Amino acid sequence: MEAYKKEVRFTILMTVAFILVGNVGLIFSIFPTDAVFLGYPLKYILPILMGWFGVFLLTIIAGAIGNRIDDEIEAENVLLENSRDTEEV
Amino acid sequence: MENQNWQLENPWMGLGVILATFLLFYIVGFVSNRKSTSARELYVGGSNTGSFVNGLAMSATYMSLATFLGITALILRLQVPFIMLWISLILAIPLITIIYGTSLRRMGAFSPTHFIRDRYGKTASIIAALFMILVSIMYALGQMIGIAVTFETLLGIPYLTGLIVGGLIIVGYITVGGMAGATNNAAIQMVIIALMFIVPLGAIMKAVGGTGWYFPPLLYADMVPAMLESLPTFFDYQFSPKWYFSIIPSLTIGALGLPHLAMRVYTASNLKSARAAMVWFAFILGLVFSATYAMGFVGVYATATQGLVISPEDADKLTIILNLVYNPDWVTALVIAGAISAGVSTLSGNLLAIGALLSQDIVATLKPNISQRLNLRLGFVAIFLGGVVSILLAIQPPAFLVVSILWAFGLAGVTNAPLIIVGVWWKEANKFGAIAASVLGGILYIVVSPFVFPSIVLTGHAVTDGMGLSGAMLAVPVSFILLIVVSFITNRMPSLASKLTKQSDIELIERIHGWKDIKAYRYNSKLGAGITVVLSAVIAVWALMPWGM
Repeated sequence: MEAYKKEVRFTILMTVAFILVGNVGLIFSIFPTDAVFLGYPLKYILPILMGWFGVFLLTIIAGAIGNRIDDEIEAENVLLENSRDTEEV
Repeated sequence: MENQNWQLENPWMGLGVILATFLLFYIVGFVSNRKSTSARELYVGGSNTGSFVNGLAMSATYMSLATFLGITALILRLQVPFIMLWISLILAIPLITIIYGTSLRRMGAFSPTHFIRDRYGKTASIIAALFMILVSIMYALGQMIGIAVTFETLLGIPYLTGLIVGGLIIVGYITVGGMAGATNNAAIQMVIIALMFIVPLGAIMKAVGGTGWYFPPLLYADMVPAMLESLPTFFDYQFSPKWYFSIIPSLTIGALGLPHLAMRVYTASNLKSARAAMVWFAFILGLVFSATYAMGFVGVYATATQGLVISPEDADKLTIILNLVYNPDWVTALVIAGAISAGVSTLSGNLLAIGALLSQDIVATLKPNISQRLNLRLGFVAIFLGGVVSILLAIQPPAFLVVSILWAFGLAGVTNAPLIIVGVWWKEANKFGAIAASVLGGILYIVVSPFVFPSIVLTGHAVTDGMGLSGAMLAVPVSFILLIVVSFITNRMPSLASKLTKQSDIELIERIHGWKDIKAYRYNSKLGAGITVVLSAVIAVWALMPWGM
């Protein structure tokens, strides 16, 4: 049950996180600002930075968590097989 | 500067660079490919590609000629809103990988329609495959227009001659190549694309007075004050939040349905490698995408402050024109080689997808006993014919080459993505829901696009309707609703029970998520399905309300 819940929760949360980080322009279209950052209008440069480094960081996190969930699913499979073997004995 | 015919002064130099580039592709293809002996090897190259090479190849497949030519043209026209739109496209491979790519990789599928066939049956998969062929052709069309424009500028020949000569050379190359050679070549092409775009951009920035020329993707803030003085509206968002929201259903979900992108996930040697490739993809694509925004910025800057005149019909040539004006001819020749590399890598992805769709997903589904050899030959014929059709369509091109590509994203988002996403995550999804979603959603999307019935559109803003932003905002949620509601109802009709394959569907879903047993509670949430229907309904109604454009 645990690995399954984690898999579903991870997929939903990561999908939402990716969509937000890749669509910062949508947020600025709702909350406009004239702030300046690094010499650019914030509403211009932040979506670009998030669309590169933000997404890059999320892929690292998603890759690590995805690999760990795979291992947990595999561990639950092994437990299941072991319990079957015990029952057969 | 006056409006003029933009072309290389010395076409022989350009031809030499292009010949050398193709020679490199052929050698890499020959060394890495040997010969494709089976259909699987032709399409996914034996599924043994390393993560860095695969990440480069994913980026090259995705980074089409649009990167070199199309994006900068639309930045010239739409300015910042188009940059905001393009940023979201980087989400494609990461979302494919986490939402369904690893599941389909675990299943051993070598195309999304392969999954649809196993999940929903033959009829649904053939319908999805037909739509995917249309998606791939529209995508390839954008590349063909770019190739024609490139050859036109290179040789000073008419657009039509450029289209036929350039198109046939590239289609011939891809037909002979296959995916194994294509993966290694795509990786090399990515390096060429990045270098041939970013280094000349640095030189252009230096020529127009920018001090950050040593890292062009992010260091052009010193040009912002002059830009604001000449063109105070450049950074304006122009459109309402609704326009920015429509990017999510049309492009973010659309990218999840693109067959040639998903196929790149299946070329990975294992799941960990596929996830590592996604990280490389994000880094490389972010770098080159940021450089394209800088190129677009410099293009607008040059027209606003330097007196550069670019006629509307030359908009797609902006990148090449900037190089012709500010860089020596030999640099422009290298840029053209980079543009052609971008076209070749994406076209090979598109055409190989068409080959896989026709030979594997349609013919092999209808005639399962067909011989391996005949099937492989059919694949080659389909690849070639797909190329020829896209050449013929490009004879009368739309105003911007990116428009047809982005419209294809929306069609993929309507007809393919819901079937895969819901199919992987919800056991109740069945073939009746899938067929209803794909057919009705697809028809709705085509009807409200300006290409078939120009008077039936949602916004009246030509580029927004043409790119499929408005159409997808209506049709994608409708497709999700149809898939879930029709499946839910038909699963409860006893008269249809014999036509459904509930048990094998359940087993397939458990298996592709990595489970060796079956549990009723997994991937069976009515609450999740209900929330999806309600959210989709709200978005569809919002799409029908006035856009105020």
